[in-house]
Amino acid sequence: MILKSARPCQRLSMPVSETRTRPALGAGPDDPPQARIAAAHARLAGAGYGVSVPRAFRQVAPKIAAQLGQEAALALADAASRIAIRTRPRIAAQFLDLSVPMARRLGAPEPFRRWIALLQGLLKPAPDAIEPLLERMETLHQRLGLAPLEAWVQTGLRLAGTDLALRRAYFTLELPEAVRLLERHAGEDTFHSLEGELRATHRALWGQSPPIREALPQAKGRAALRASFGAGVIQLPASYSGYRGRERLIYKAALAHIGAHMAHGGARFQVGQLKPLQIAVVSLIEDARVETLALRQMPGLARLWLPFHDVAPEGMATTPSLFGRLARALIDPDFPIRHGWVRKGVEMFRAGDGQIGNPALSRHIGNILGNDLGQTRVQFNARDYVVQPVYRDDNLGLWDLPPDPHEAQQHHHIDIETHDLRRSEETDSPQDRKTERADQSTDLPPEKIVAAPAASGVGRIVGHLPEYDHLAGIERADWVTVKEYDPAPGDPLFWRKLEDRHGPLLARIRSLVRAAAMGRQKRLKRQAEGERLDLDAAIEAAIDLRARRTPDHRVYEGVSTPDRSIAVHLLIDTSHSTGDPVSPTGPSIIVLLREATGVLAHAMTQLGDPLAITAFASDGRDDLRLVRVKRFSDDLGPLTGMALSGLRPGYSTRIGAAIRDAGATLAPVPAHRRLVLILTDGEPSDIDIRDPDYLVADARRAVQGLNSAGIDVFCIALGQGAGQRHAEIFSKRGFVQIDRLEALPEKLPALYLRMTR
Amino acid sequence: MSDSSPLDAYRLDTEPKWHATGDEISLFSAAYAARLPVMLKGPTGCGKTRFVEHMAWHLQRPLVTVSCHEDMTASDLVGRYLLGPEGTHWQDGPLTLAVRHGAICYLDEIVEARQDTTVIIHALTDDRRILPLEKKGELVRAHPDFQLVISYNPGYQSVLKDLKESTKQRFCALDFDYPAAQFEAQIVASEAAIPQTGAETLVRIAHKSRNLRGQGLTEGASTRMLIHAGRLMAGGLSVTEACKLAMITPMTDDPEIRAALSAAVDACV
Ligand SMILES: Nc1ncnc2c1ncn2[C@@H]1O[C@H](COP(=O)(O)OP(=O)(O)OP(=O)(O)O)[C@@H](O)[C@H]1O
Ligand SMILES: [Mg+2]
Repeated sequence: MILKSARPCQRLSMPVSETRTRPALGAGPDDPPQARIAAAHARLAGAGYGVSVPRAFRQVAPKIAAQLGQEAALALADAASRIAIRTRPRIAAQFLDLSVPMARRLGAPEPFRRWIALLQGLLKPAPDAIEPLLERMETLHQRLGLAPLEAWVQTGLRLAGTDLALRRAYFTLELPEAVRLLERHAGEDTFHSLEGELRATHRALWGQSPPIREALPQAKGRAALRASFGAGVIQLPASYSGYRGRERLIYKAALAHIGAHMAHGGARFQVGQLKPLQIAVVSLIEDARVETLALRQMPGLARLWLPFHDVAPEGMATTPSLFGRLARALIDPDFPIRHGWVRKGVEMFRAGDGQIGNPALSRHIGNILGNDLGQTRVQFNARDYVVQPVYRDDNLGLWDLPPDPHEAQQHHHIDIETHDLRRSEETDSPQDRKTERADQSTDLPPEKIVAAPAASGVGRIVGHLPEYDHLAGIERADWVTVKEYDPAPGDPLFWRKLEDRHGPLLARIRSLVRAAAMGRQKRLKRQAEGERLDLDAAIEAAIDLRARRTPDHRVYEGVSTPDRSIAVHLLIDTSHSTGDPVSPTGPSIIVLLREATGVLAHAMTQLGDPLAITAFASDGRDDLRLVRVKRFSDDLGPLTGMALSGLRPGYSTRIGAAIRDAGATLAPVPAHRRLVLILTDGEPSDIDIRDPDYLVADARRAVQGLNSAGIDVFCIALGQGAGQRHAEIFSKRGFVQIDRLEALPEKLPALYLRMTR
Repeated sequence: MSDSSPLDAYRLDTEPKWHATGDEISLFSAAYAARLPVMLKGPTGCGKTRFVEHMAWHLQRPLVTVSCHEDMTASDLVGRYLLGPEGTHWQDGPLTLAVRHGAICYLDEIVEARQDTTVIIHALTDDRRILPLEKKGELVRAHPDFQLVISYNPGYQSVLKDLKESTKQRFCALDFDYPAAQFEAQIVASEAAIPQTGAETLVRIAHKSRNLRGQGLTEGASTRMLIHAGRLMAGGLSVTEACKLAMITPMTDDPEIRAALSAAVDACV
């Protein structure tokens, strides 16, 4: 993510200021206005663009001149000429025609000038974008306003790069991402802008942190309209457009509704012989049932949900209206009931209150009501049915539906699968699943992340490690082969670029570090010099004097330099999954890992804490793949930077073995505290292990082993859902989970400082 | 023996109210009967201090409380020589006072103290029950009524601040946590003098905030915070206002976590 929004295009405004200063052909600034416009017209007419351009100019120029002044009208001529040359005269004429309504919208000379500059700025890099942009200009401007429009255009250029087809899809709004970005630039609250808050809120309300995702566009690129859940994953629409100003409330209401389902729902309903109408009604009753239960504990949720129930008590008895009324009547005690079918539903629901904890109640009532409605002539169109009100989910999570290759089910499935791949021990061998993804964050240099090729150098066998088999209850000696691999050559300018990208952050960390160091200063007793008298020493000196002994002259109190004594071995998981992007347009995990490690290493060097950095992955027990990015004895220099930036994702995650190795390197380091700090995005897994508990148990054993040797192990789990089994391995206190990976470079050093203060 | 004056100031004459939430009173009494040192584990503001006060009153012992901090030295605990008009004289520190005259000594947040400070309690907490005053060259034998109690918050995510194994193993330990919902509501209702229903709402909100422990918050809202919020409500603030003032704003500056906490408050009222 993080496609920077406000990036006004100063660079692009150059051509216009040039036109302003250059005297128009045959007519100077002192000539009467009419003459200058006529001269510009003559120039256009003589330039061989055909008739449409000068004709359009003749029509619009006086209007623009009247509204925004002569300079604006003249700028138009120059821009039209350039557009005609770079694209086609037809498009230039289109531009001129559009200038009148746009002048009205923009209202003043300066915004108008910027608008022209925006288009002129596209002539060189993306002339093909001008036409689609002009076609949608009024709508886009209506939605965004000028500055966000500029930003959205810039974002499009960056996102598409040199890919013409992609660019076209962006500016024609066929690319769902373009629509999403439009929403973001429009300042509407979207899933992305609310993500962190929603996640924290869900956790607070329900005590659980299921993965919460942005719903991918459905088949044919249609944006998802409703929230959805299933298989423990929550999906929320990228945006709720058309509800301007209320988006945040809808997201909150939708998530609270799903929370109610997850807290109070049961097993999925079997479809059996139910007709679509009955399925819809059963779902509706189930919605009311779980909401009723949730409201008993959290009555305030009514204020969140009820405002979206805005159906009137009477009116045409269509299905949507009746559904809306029933849905409202079931949770709004003040809603007047004017229809027999609604009344029957409410009465059955109230009568069933003793059974309210049981989902079967919904099925029972829904069955009957659906049947009743089916007997009437009321139409129900299952195809176009969209659950109302807007905050409710699409009901897919309630039903045990047969696999349907169409519609929402499909993306749902895919999405969950990508999520589960990491945890599944049955994945195909990782290097087969090559990923290539362009990194599109504006904060980071563009870089292709390619999975480490199978034969990336040859590892040197450097030793063997034991491994614990929890079923047999034995530790097998020399079970895992440790191989060291040379770092892949990375960027020799890594540090300088890091400073460029994270200058303010690094500066902030330096001052944090100073503060941390200050906080740890200690009083030093019995100093030969110092700021204050050491009372104890002074008194002893006085006693000695009276007893006629020679007093100790060290009677002052000083302040020590901080005596931190902590050595850290940082383990970076570079398994295959770290090649995944953190969000659809975001950088991949490994890019953030490198950055964050860089920032942390920087902080630790400031603190003077000895540090080693090792990247690990594994390819079965014969190949624990270690890249020594930095040994304790290495300086944090260009070589470390190259090694760090050269890290590539690939292979699996044998955490226990990596921990043992790190422990062994820490053991001889003289420090009060020794810490193995692990950054990982998933659970242990490896290609030769099928039992999901095996590597977890081994890792736990490795942690215990280090603990008893006086070495602490702490894990930083990256990404939501990453920490499923970390408590088992590292103990509850032994890990934290960082959800928003984009913030990693910032969070990691802060976390470290807090942890070791 | 009739206790001499030094500890009179440390006697509690009114009962610090304690709502028992389990068998903590009898367990503590048993430890005291055996004169075993006790460690109270639990998050901040869950009632550890109040419990020790209550037990001291219950057992009719004076209570000497020391809040430990990073700069605390052994002398701060044990005592030091002072210069007086007639030359120097020794002044017992709070720990020595308790050891000599038979009080319960409560070292609050012992992990905050420097490691070299914590080792002076070692000889006191095994069967020797002695406190060596090195400077004075005296070995103080603990008064038969003396007992050492320490508190310890395991929630800190600092690998540097942990008790040494050899220290830990000398203590009996009682686990404290925020009391179960209905108890906590009773406590809040009676401490803040508000109706039970209001207290129940506060407790429900607290539970939501505790869900964020380790996920944006270091700790959830403590019982102490709830009592504060309750007092504000007794003074006329609405639940929402009171929670904002006494809980949300003090707990975090992160806008997302604040939003989540506000949503939790909204959901519960
Ligand atoms: N079971 C209880 N009975 C009575 N009051 C209680 C109980 N539990 C908690 N409290 C109240 O909670 C508040 C906080 O308690 P206290 O100050 O003892 O916490 P603490 O655990 O010592 O906190 P810290 O670790 O920050 O020192 C007090 O006002 C106390 O009255
Ligand atoms: Mg639902």
